[in-house]
Amino acid sequence: MTTQQFLTSEWTWNTAGLVFSGVVLTAYLWAFNINRRILYLLAALALFALTLMSPLNALAAGYLFSAHMLQHILLLLIVPALVLMSLPRWVSLGSRSWLIANPFVGWIAGVSAMWLWHARPLCNAAVSSQLVNALQISSLLLLGTIFWRQILAPREEERMSPPGAVLYLFSACVACSILGILITFSPVSVCPIYAQPAADRLGILNLIQSNWGIIPEKDQQIGGLLMWVPMCFVYLSAIVAQLARWFAHPLASAPVMDKPL
Amino acid sequence: MNENTSITATVVHLLTPAERQHWKLAWLSTVDHKRIGILYMLTGLVFFVIAGIEALLIRLQLMVPNNTLLGPDTYNWMFTMHGTTMIFLVAMPVLFGIMNYILPLQIGARDMAFPRLNALGVWLVPFGGILLHFSFLAGGPPAVGWFAYTPLSETPYSSQLGVDYWAISLLVLGIGSVSAGINFIVTVLTQRAPGMTLRRLPLFSWMTFMNAFLVILVLPILNAALVMLLIDRLLNGRFFLPFGGGSAILWQHIFWAFGHPEVYIVAIPAFAILSEVIPVFSRKPIFGHEFVAASTVIIVFLSLLVWAHHMFTVGLGRAVDLFFVAASVLIAVPTGVKLFNWSATMVGGRVRFTTPMLFCVAALLQFLIGGLTGVSHAVAPLDWQTKNSYYLVAHFHNIFVGLIVFAILGGIYYWFPKMSGRMMSERIGKWVFWLMTIGFNLTFMIQHVLGLAGMPRRTFTYPDLPGWTWMNMVSTIGAFFMAAASILFVWDLVASLFRGKPAGDNPWNAWTLEWATTSPPPHENFNALPPIHSRRPLWDYANPDRPDPVVPVGGAIDTFRPDKIKAGVITFIISEAGFFGVLILAYLFYNATSQSGPGAQQLDVLKTTIFSVCLFASSFTIWRSEVGLRANNLGKMKAWLIATIVLGGIFIVGQGLEYWSLFQSGVTVGLDLFATTFFTLTGFHGLHVSFGLLALLVVLGVASVSNLKNGRFPALGAVGYYWHFVDVVWVFVFSIVYLWPLIR
Repeated sequence: MTTQQFLTSEWTWNTAGLVFSGVVLTAYLWAFNINRRILYLLAALALFALTLMSPLNALAAGYLFSAHMLQHILLLLIVPALVLMSLPRWVSLGSRSWLIANPFVGWIAGVSAMWLWHARPLCNAAVSSQLVNALQISSLLLLGTIFWRQILAPREEERMSPPGAVLYLFSACVACSILGILITFSPVSVCPIYAQPAADRLGILNLIQSNWGIIPEKDQQIGGLLMWVPMCFVYLSAIVAQLARWFAHPLASAPVMDKPL
Repeated sequence: MNENTSITATVVHLLTPAERQHWKLAWLSTVDHKRIGILYMLTGLVFFVIAGIEALLIRLQLMVPNNTLLGPDTYNWMFTMHGTTMIFLVAMPVLFGIMNYILPLQIGARDMAFPRLNALGVWLVPFGGILLHFSFLAGGPPAVGWFAYTPLSETPYSSQLGVDYWAISLLVLGIGSVSAGINFIVTVLTQRAPGMTLRRLPLFSWMTFMNAFLVILVLPILNAALVMLLIDRLLNGRFFLPFGGGSAILWQHIFWAFGHPEVYIVAIPAFAILSEVIPVFSRKPIFGHEFVAASTVIIVFLSLLVWAHHMFTVGLGRAVDLFFVAASVLIAVPTGVKLFNWSATMVGGRVRFTTPMLFCVAALLQFLIGGLTGVSHAVAPLDWQTKNSYYLVAHFHNIFVGLIVFAILGGIYYWFPKMSGRMMSERIGKWVFWLMTIGFNLTFMIQHVLGLAGMPRRTFTYPDLPGWTWMNMVSTIGAFFMAAASILFVWDLVASLFRGKPAGDNPWNAWTLEWATTSPPPHENFNALPPIHSRRPLWDYANPDRPDPVVPVGGAIDTFRPDKIKAGVITFIISEAGFFGVLILAYLFYNATSQSGPGAQQLDVLKTTIFSVCLFASSFTIWRSEVGLRANNLGKMKAWLIATIVLGGIFIVGQGLEYWSLFQSGVTVGLDLFATTFFTLTGFHGLHVSFGLLALLVVLGVASVSNLKNGRFPALGAVGYYWHFVDVVWVFVFSIVYLWPLIR
């Protein structure tokens, strides 16, 4: 199989994912009507569908750890962020439950989604079992939403203060980088199911290893690097947005009188 | 005014009448941030002379081909000592000194948050410097380059004591730097004047604040690398020795994880000086304050992410190279933002080319060149060609001298009037500037060409190839121009101290708070502060009809002012986490595959579990102790405190027993990689528990003899945080070392 054949033929139909997307879109329209922010939601759903139905998914399903990592990042960090950004600004995600409102919980959610799913048994199971895979996808979306809620909640007062948010994002980046570094330089396979693909279902093993030159060790390295470097750029972009928010926000409004000394 | 009275007047400035009786102690025992700042700078100046002479010797050796002035070994000593001294004993102390002097003044504080800790930090510098230079008397200094790559720096290849002195000295300096970093952070958080919100911080203070985070994050990484190297050298450890199973590359990773941010630790204060001086002498507020401030945060973040670009020639593989090319090139964006902002500040301003401004504008231009060659190094294929050639030497000297030394000189010319009450000479200053600029460019611009022509660095001589001889000659002549500039500068410093024109409070018509007090400032810094509504309080004060727009107070974070002691301990814990993080990663790296010989399987998990439960329980007891304090029940507080000490003591005894039985069965540090990593990780944790126990005993003693009222005893809360941290570290260590082998 050539690269071109692979890219054109390996699109899969994911009914559950499409139904889920349809339900989300309908619910959004029912609740908020059409507004400009729906573009974020459409982007999120398109990305979600691409992640699960494109050749990327074919690669992630047993061939390439790095493809899996890309999916992981998209589902945990990009899709939930876009969904939160699509909500109209009056929507309250406030909660009296300290569990949801606590930044510490949000941080743990975001970081544990990275660490736990790369424990060897879980990582393997997510490839070999459909059920675990579905569980993984939904948990990533959920945990990502809990993580981003601290930063991207529609209402200003429900978000963290900008300097706090910078620390939150920075420390999350460090925590994920450490895992990325471990995966990149680990002498052992993190997810052995990718190191020895059980059966070459699609007949693309030769394409990947000879034509693309991605042997298993390199594959794991790329996966680790994806988690280490580009993922930090996602956090970095959010940090830039937070700094902009901090320095710009009250200056844009009318000058507030200072407290007397 | 005749000379004698002017000298007397200066001495009056330097010492109060009471202090003149014991003038040595007045400076040696000082905890005043201003004097500490000057001590930092003077220490830096002494080492600048030493490292400068080393540089001249290097240039003399390279002046002509096949020279025999320095032998190869001496040459290796010279470039190692030159690099190490210039970075750790010149750039850092001088910049820390300027920040120490200016930061509290600029935020309207009386002093740093922890004046005694500040004194410790400054005295560790000469201590570390003397340790490093003592190696000259103890068999020869290190000859391994400033990054001391393993295995060259390991005992089989460097059997003299030089590397040991190098490592211990850097450890001492690293601890001092972390203490200074903690102090800067806590000072900004807790000592700001009323009205000086975080968003109203002038850029110099803001960048000092950001830089301090970088210091506490990365110096511990170096400290961890150094203790690992020392364990290899002194206890026959196996971390970085390939024939013992260790990885020499790991040293490079850890060193550059520190080493790259280190460049920014000395560059950001230089940026800070530029951001202060350029607006003042352009008579305009800085263009895009928010962009300069935010780009600093981004530089701090990115600098931690790109160290592998120092290792393109190691052979990390194309995948790794590719990612780090992308990340490294990205740093050009926030630094470019800064360059544009400084340039835009000058555009349309009424620029006054005084000596400080000349140095800062030159620094901007030199940094542009150094930055561009830096981007060229970020591109892996180019880097393969130019790494370890004089092109690289030219690049980083453009940063270290062109940017940082020039900014330091600009900063000293700018703030000397504040520190001494006297102006430096503009006439001599211009001479210093031109000699320095011409000398610097003669020395280093031509080295770009030499490097591209293939001349390797760190080689004691070279053959008489076409073009090489005259270019090296030019470079050496330039170095002597710089030496002349330095001598003239020191002369100017001394002469101005005694004979300079009186400066007055605000000779440059600047706008930040350090100029709102006398020159030099009184011991307590300010008699009264002007109101602070913006980033330029003195402008607002002088121009009440057209003040800067008020920077509003929005939300709790602007007036955030945590408890001083807790903030200090938390910052300290962050830096400690970095130290343990490196040790844990090294353990994981070496124990990912099972070793032959004794390993984690031989450990007595059950016994250790029991001792660990004691340690974990002590987190509970110290919490109960704090509850007792809050309830004003001192008896309860002490009882729970004693329980904590007993539980911690049981843990330490348990660890001692475990070590004893391991030693009995022949498992010592040098046995294999498992033993080396195991003893390092658990040993340093044990050391921290022991320090925690000492601290708890001190707290108990203080609580017993003093009369605590209203349940206020912040030391207990601070030690409590530290104790919880030590327990949390053990959660990780225990899971990784003892539990992980059981489940995998």
